[in-house]
Amino acid sequence: MPLRVRLTLWYGTALALILIIFSTILYVITARSLRDAVDQSLEETAAAAVRSLEERGFLPLIDETELMSQFPELARIDKFFQIFSPSGTITIRSPNVKQHEMPLSRQALEVAYSGRTIFESAKYPKEPPLRLISVPIIYRGNLLYIVQVGTTMDSVEQTLNRLLLVLLVSMPIALAVSLAGGWFMAGRALRPVDAITLAARRIAGGDLTQRLTVPASADEIGRLTNTFNDMIDRLETSFRQIRQFSSDASHELRTPLTVMKGETELALRRPRETDDYKVVLESNLEEIDRMTRIVDELLFLSRADMGEVKMEHLPVPLDMLIEDVHRQASLLGQERDIKVVLRATASAVVVGDELRLRELFLNLLDNAVKYSRPGGTVDIALTIEQNHARVSVTDRGIGIAQEDQSLIFDRFYRTDDARAHTKKGTGLGLSICAWIVESHRGHLEVQSKVGEGSTFTAMLPLAPASA
Amino acid sequence: MRILVIEDETKVGCFIKRALEEESYAVDLCEDGAKGLQMALNTDYDVLIVDLMLPSLPGLEILKGVRQARIQTPILILTAQSQVDQRVKGLDAGADDYLTKPFAIDELLARIRALLRRGSTESPGVLQIDDLALNPATREVTRGGQRIDLTSKEYALLEYLMRHTGRVLTRPMISEHVWNQDFDTFTNVIDVYVNYLRNKIDRGRSKKLIHTIRGSGYMLKVD
Repeated sequence: MPLRVRLTLWYGTALALILIIFSTILYVITARSLRDAVDQSLEETAAAAVRSLEERGFLPLIDETELMSQFPELARIDKFFQIFSPSGTITIRSPNVKQHEMPLSRQALEVAYSGRTIFESAKYPKEPPLRLISVPIIYRGNLLYIVQVGTTMDSVEQTLNRLLLVLLVSMPIALAVSLAGGWFMAGRALRPVDAITLAARRIAGGDLTQRLTVPASADEIGRLTNTFNDMIDRLETSFRQIRQFSSDASHELRTPLTVMKGETELALRRPRETDDYKVVLESNLEEIDRMTRIVDELLFLSRADMGEVKMEHLPVPLDMLIEDVHRQASLLGQERDIKVVLRATASAVVVGDELRLRELFLNLLDNAVKYSRPGGTVDIALTIEQNHARVSVTDRGIGIAQEDQSLIFDRFYRTDDARAHTKKGTGLGLSICAWIVESHRGHLEVQSKVGEGSTFTAMLPLAPASA
Repeated sequence: MRILVIEDETKVGCFIKRALEEESYAVDLCEDGAKGLQMALNTDYDVLIVDLMLPSLPGLEILKGVRQARIQTPILILTAQSQVDQRVKGLDAGADDYLTKPFAIDELLARIRALLRRGSTESPGVLQIDDLALNPATREVTRGGQRIDLTSKEYALLEYLMRHTGRVLTRPMISEHVWNQDFDTFTNVIDVYVNYLRNKIDRGRSKKLIHTIRGSGYMLKVD
């Protein structure tokens, strides 16, 4: 059931309940107060009658005329009068009781003997209902008379019937009017929701550039719209990243394939010298190695993303590891006449995976050597800083432009300089470095100036014991 | 026919250059975008082969730069990006053809032949003047049904002459289109090669096709 219908129904049901309760209370209270007023008036009349009888020393009344002169208020046509003897027979009655006998009820007689007043309702066929009060007159312990005053409930019943009619007619009208109003208002309140639905459908259709127009008011719908737009922003960003990633990945894999296909086809176009074939095969082997490296690193990163890379959590003495890596990197540097210098070391233990940490530092040093000018120096230093081991690798090579610094950790991102500099790079090395540092709950930073060189700094939390 | 290849992957650039040179094209290779655009603007190439991802200037910008300079040289885009929108963007920027990596060398060569044909009204493929015929696809040259064997440079020179039949071609024009940028235009190599061609094509025939225009250059025409 649509929300609009449900909202209207809830609203209507609540309103109907309120109306019914209200009308019932109104009717009951009105009926009671009208009847109370009748009873009160009967009581007053009866009391006046009793008082007159008292004044006369309770002498029996002779006839109606005398009665009427005694009680001028009885002349009012809406009330009648009867006086019964203690046996319950009628002694005298007002002239407006003529149509038929109205004997004293047995209950009224019994109550009279106990000396109490009683109200009764009576109904005779084809007549309006009657209300009666019977008051006993007791003198020195003996019941002398029973005075009964009655009145028709005609006007009361009519008033109540009219009230009931008004309520029964007006209630459905009020309900209908407010249901229509509720339907309209629910529609109005839900219109922005419809707009969101339509926009969401368009966006789900693949158009991630769509945005919802944010309403001016800062209400629930405004907040929903903003939240929705934020969500699409993030979706669009991650979609773009994925598309970028797969296009980069395919580019990186296509390049070696292009080389292999092109060189092989060229070699096969006509007979060649054996040495020519050898050159092609060697070149192909290089490309195969490059593809293997890309595929391995891609696989590693995607397994890392899925949380499937196993990591040791053992204490690793970082100073020993750094010394070892330094020795290895020195050999790498020798090929290009680059000195790798261990500037500082400190006793530091971190909890983690020694193999991965070794890979991290070797990668950073390998990069530093690659981007250094021949005859240059690469520094590595291990220091302690606020519960962290700080390992920095500094080269004095080409440096990284400011706008590229935030991007170099992105997968396949290579600056134009890097592309031109190291044809064999996969563009994944720094992504892996950053992942290794982060999986040790540390962080990897770069500081660089174009033409002056770069410093990569890994901050790794120390093991609790040595902290 | 002189071709500029702008490609930053050294190995890819090298094998394209070699393949084209074996087909007797004169080839210049450039690995940098901005430098490539300068070369395209300064030299009259017959075809440009442009990679899209390049250092210093993306391939699309090279296309725009070339077309803005009102140079109508056919351009072939060569790239690893295979998405349709990329292809559309490249073609809209002024490229004439598109080839995604990895590609077959035969296809690259066929597309270059197609680009060279473009704009001329000759029947597709075979170039013909009088009874002299040249088929760029098979590199077969015949005169009066008789096969003529040419060296690579002779063939390149003849193809250039045949594509511009009836027009005076100056020595600098010939050197620019038949030899690459390393060629020294002050030597008389061009005259030597024209003589070789004359020996093979016109010698012993009543109708001469290669004519010397004194003071300016050469022309291929039927008298």
